[in-house]
Amino acid sequence: MAMVHAWRAARVTPLGELHAPPRMTAVLLRLSVQVVLVWSLWRGLYAQTGTTAGLDRDQAVTYAVLAVLASRLRELDQYTGRDTVLQHMHFGTIVYWYLRPLPPQRYYALRALGEQLYGLAWALGGYAVCLAVGAVEPPRSAAVAGVFLLSMLLGQWVLYYVMLVLDQLCFFTLRNNAAMLILLFAQNLLAGVYAPLWFFPDWFITMSAFLPFQATLSVPLSLYVGRIPLSDAALQIAVQAAWVVALALFTRWVWRRAAQRVISQGG
Amino acid sequence: MSGSIEVRGLTRTFHTTVRRPGLAGALRSLVNPERVAKHAVLDVSFDVAPGELLALLGPNGAGKSTTIKMLTGILTPTAGEARVAGVVPYQERERNARNIGAVFGQRTQLWWDLPVRESFAILRDIYEVPKAEHAARLKEFDELLDLSSFWDTRVRHLSLGQRVRSDLAAALLHDPPVVFLDEPTIGMDVVVKEQVREFLRNQVEERGRTVLLTTHDMTEVERLAERVVLINHGRLMLDGTLEEIRRKFGSTWQVRATLADPHAEVVPPPGIALLRHDGPRVVFGPDGPDAPTVHQALKAVIERFEVTDIGIDEADLEDVMRAAYVQATGDA
Repeated sequence: MAMVHAWRAARVTPLGELHAPPRMTAVLLRLSVQVVLVWSLWRGLYAQTGTTAGLDRDQAVTYAVLAVLASRLRELDQYTGRDTVLQHMHFGTIVYWYLRPLPPQRYYALRALGEQLYGLAWALGGYAVCLAVGAVEPPRSAAVAGVFLLSMLLGQWVLYYVMLVLDQLCFFTLRNNAAMLILLFAQNLLAGVYAPLWFFPDWFITMSAFLPFQATLSVPLSLYVGRIPLSDAALQIAVQAAWVVALALFTRWVWRRAAQRVISQGG
Repeated sequence: MSGSIEVRGLTRTFHTTVRRPGLAGALRSLVNPERVAKHAVLDVSFDVAPGELLALLGPNGAGKSTTIKMLTGILTPTAGEARVAGVVPYQERERNARNIGAVFGQRTQLWWDLPVRESFAILRDIYEVPKAEHAARLKEFDELLDLSSFWDTRVRHLSLGQRVRSDLAAALLHDPPVVFLDEPTIGMDVVVKEQVREFLRNQVEERGRTVLLTTHDMTEVERLAERVVLINHGRLMLDGTLEEIRRKFGSTWQVRATLADPHAEVVPPPGIALLRHDGPRVVFGPDGPDAPTVHQALKAVIERFEVTDIGIDEADLEDVMRAAYVQATGDA
């Protein structure tokens, strides 16, 4: 039977957030504080210098503020809603994912899409405010804006798969909180959320070029601020697309293996 | 659609690593792990007819949940086969999902942060249930389970009883012909338990759903099931009606009577033994494997003796199942 209405499962996480106004207030506060702190920090760092790591002050501040806003796209509090894969494995409720006519991988994808669209609303709202108050610079041209949007879309796609791999780990190691924390830290560090990768040593930049993380955020933000010129955009976007394909194939294989691990919840 | 369940020689074997004791043992296990096969379910066969409620019973770890997981398509059997409403569940998981509903004890399938009604709406979309049909079924379930008093409450704020009622409704909203209930009333108070039983009875009798129920609550079995399947150590020990099980494991009734003539000679009817004789008071019990049921014994005693008072003590189903579990464990 055709799945005509199943896409509406995408509303799960946004609905959960909308039914928890205190959580939304907390998000607003946290986002505001983070943006102000990051803006102040990078302006302070550039007080005594003109250009560092190929970025001037405005580029660096714009990069850092946009990184904070973009991190909202997948930073919803699923733990409170008992809706992380780890919790579903722990409580045994993961079995229901396998008892519905919507395959678990499609349900997961729809749920993530809903999260990312909801997060996008926050990010766009924050971007509009930051643009209005001059905390970020606008893109330098329509071409930059267009390339940035395409790169950001691919970056979010890569990020979806990276997060999926972390969640799929839960099927194989029930207690993986520590691994998750390490991997999340690595993801944020290597994606350039904490600081633009241009500030890291050469060996670090070379190493991260072989990993998918920089494709999630560093590439689109570097395109936005002009650290990666438009002439290099095609190559960078091709690399992002390659990561999407590679991770799609890998996660598809892991889903098949994961289905055999559902029994791990016992009972 | 026929809601029958057919199980033939169903077997599921798990391979686990044996951990040797002590530090040296742990190291040896690490270098040279010893793998052993454990049969969680072994050669189990039974049928459930459409519109029948079957209780799948057994002590903890008997293999009940593993059996249900194979019938719901979550697990693939090592050997044997199963068909649920004509579908092999582990081969056609998605098609099977449309035919079945399931509740696993206190594990909720509802979304913790959403009001119950929103969870129902998401399930409606996932199962592609037409809106009018969904509304009609919700109304029906509300009348039976009193859902509307809490369905606008977020799941995290529901009591256990409210949550299980919501889960039952959620499992049946897409109108499945077959329902699997794995200890659905565990931890619930008697009032809610009775409400759930009433709901299940209604769904079996009025809607013709096939229900496979596992429970440790013998009152539930007595009120709902006509037939039970008993498994232990993964093997099927017994498949029969409650009456057959009582006859096999529960012949512990006693008939107590006060005779009108305290000096009368007491020769018990066939199949009945005289357990005590104290003046006019006599106590009879079953004698051998062909002993009559307690009601037959009562009739036989009244017909044979002139009595001024008579009463019966019958082992309840819990005692019967205890005896069955003990014997099953001994046989295994």
